[in-house]
Amino acid sequence: MLLLGLDTATRRVGVVLANEHGLIGRVELGGTADTTAPRHAETLAPAIAWCCERCGVELAQVSAVAVGIGPGMFTGLRVGVTTAKVLAQSLRVPVIPIPSLDLLAYPLRYARRLVVATIDARRHELYWAIYRTVPGGVQRVSEYELGAPDDLVAELEALGEDALVCGDGSLRFAKAFAPLGSRVELAGPAHAAPSLSALVELAQSRFAREDFCVPSEVLPMYLRRSDAELAWDRKAT
Amino acid sequence: MVVSSVRVLAIETSCDETAAAVVDNGRVVRSSVVASQADLHARYGGVVPEIASRAHVELICDVIEQSLVEAGASLEEVDAVAAVRGPGLAGALLVGVSAAKAISIARGLPYVGVHHHEAHLYAAMIEDPELEPPLVTLIVSGGHTLLIAMEDHGRYRVLGETVDDAAGEAFDKVARFLGLGYPGGPAIDRVALDGDPEAIRFPRPMRGEGHDFSFSGLKTAVVQYVRKHPDADVADVAASFQAAAVDVLVEKLVGAAQETGISTVVAGGGVAANSALRERLLDLAVGGDLRVVVPSIALCTDNAAMVGAVAAYRLAADGPTPLEAPVVPNLRLA
Ligand SMILES: [Zn+2]
Repeated sequence: MLLLGLDTATRRVGVVLANEHGLIGRVELGGTADTTAPRHAETLAPAIAWCCERCGVELAQVSAVAVGIGPGMFTGLRVGVTTAKVLAQSLRVPVIPIPSLDLLAYPLRYARRLVVATIDARRHELYWAIYRTVPGGVQRVSEYELGAPDDLVAELEALGEDALVCGDGSLRFAKAFAPLGSRVELAGPAHAAPSLSALVELAQSRFAREDFCVPSEVLPMYLRRSDAELAWDRKAT
Repeated sequence: MVVSSVRVLAIETSCDETAAAVVDNGRVVRSSVVASQADLHARYGGVVPEIASRAHVELICDVIEQSLVEAGASLEEVDAVAAVRGPGLAGALLVGVSAAKAISIARGLPYVGVHHHEAHLYAAMIEDPELEPPLVTLIVSGGHTLLIAMEDHGRYRVLGETVDDAAGEAFDKVARFLGLGYPGGPAIDRVALDGDPEAIRFPRPMRGEGHDFSFSGLKTAVVQYVRKHPDADVADVAASFQAAAVDVLVEKLVGAAQETGISTVVAGGGVAANSALRERLLDLAVGGDLRVVVPSIALCTDNAAMVGAVAAYRLAADGPTPLEAPVVPNLRLA
């Protein structure tokens, strides 16, 4: 089988190709230090085409498209999710949607403490989820959350356990975690973006279980409603 | 100009319609599917960009699928894929463009990024397959008010545009003020049928002053009148406002034709669905020297058939658009 994976939840545009034995190629563009305007819509399709060409495969051979559905940057997510679902529709293959926070946590499954995945939500907020390591993976023990860095810090304080925090959100708000002292460690730039290797591993086991979606059903995980809807609700109450 | 045999799958998501169409040779519409989001935006009294962008992602696959089914065509029988890349709402444009690029790489098809206003111009070419430039076009909608001289395929001159509100924006604002709901164009059109267009003499802004338009003063005049005359008949107010707006639009279009010496005039955009404007435009053709083309309402409001039409010409003239090309929310014409 040939799997195409995409993740565009952060500033990083990620494309990965894998067969049943593992990764055969990947392209990553942009990163936490990239301060130019996001260019997901310009780079994603050429990156996919280039990656296929360099790996000597054709999109027509792809058996499923995996995609990180966020939460994260709205425009990035819309480019990634739209590309994944329309590609899959055109190729007549299924989509395997995976939350991008899960892709951050999975590579830290050997950490032997709580793993906290974060993504910068801008407006001085974070998306996050908390995971417990289990044999062979991680198990999510919180909802997918949106809140201020201090909300997460309070949550970790209450849990009172050692934790490893990863993702670009933790880099951006590193100072906010200082009050937790040595109980909490930040995973650093190597774990800033959702892992493409994790996308392949998680998607392949789901593909094997035939746990996938028809393309039209797949949507970004936003967590944050639009300002217009929020304002409307405030007015209504 | 006749474009050689080419079947285009076209996508339009620049504002609040998710649309896809299959068009042959730039003139023959095999299918045209439009999913309107008007209901989602109605309570906000206008298009909310974030809500529009989210809805496009939800609807895009089904709209594309339906356009192929209605055309009786499979993707294997499509020669090129097109999408509007501007002007429009950035987050909304991204969805259609990403979809078109995805199809392009999946099926190895050329991608064509299209200008939304240019697409409106080509709606008339679908309506009248014999139509050729030169022509003068009036494009009026909630987002744009433009007078464009099309000298040839791909050669345009913007003669005039609004200096403040778009014409459709004025309809929306007046409709909201009169409590007629959203979208305002159809609401005013409906109510005006029972009113007297000469009951109130509203101003005709910038009449006789070149090719530019202004609508915010007209809107203000309506507001002031109703405040001063709270018992005024809503139908009369709507009809009189509509008459003033239509007068200006038609006079400016005729003026542009006279000045350029171009004898074919064309209208497009959502406001060109207005019955009073359509009637006045068609009257121009009777006994006059002007040839008038007013596309069907489905071709005037935003749709993807017009995108498929212009894409065939752009592909023939310029070749494919690079996949690296960005969306451009304020893209200029020519
Ligand atoms: Zn339009």
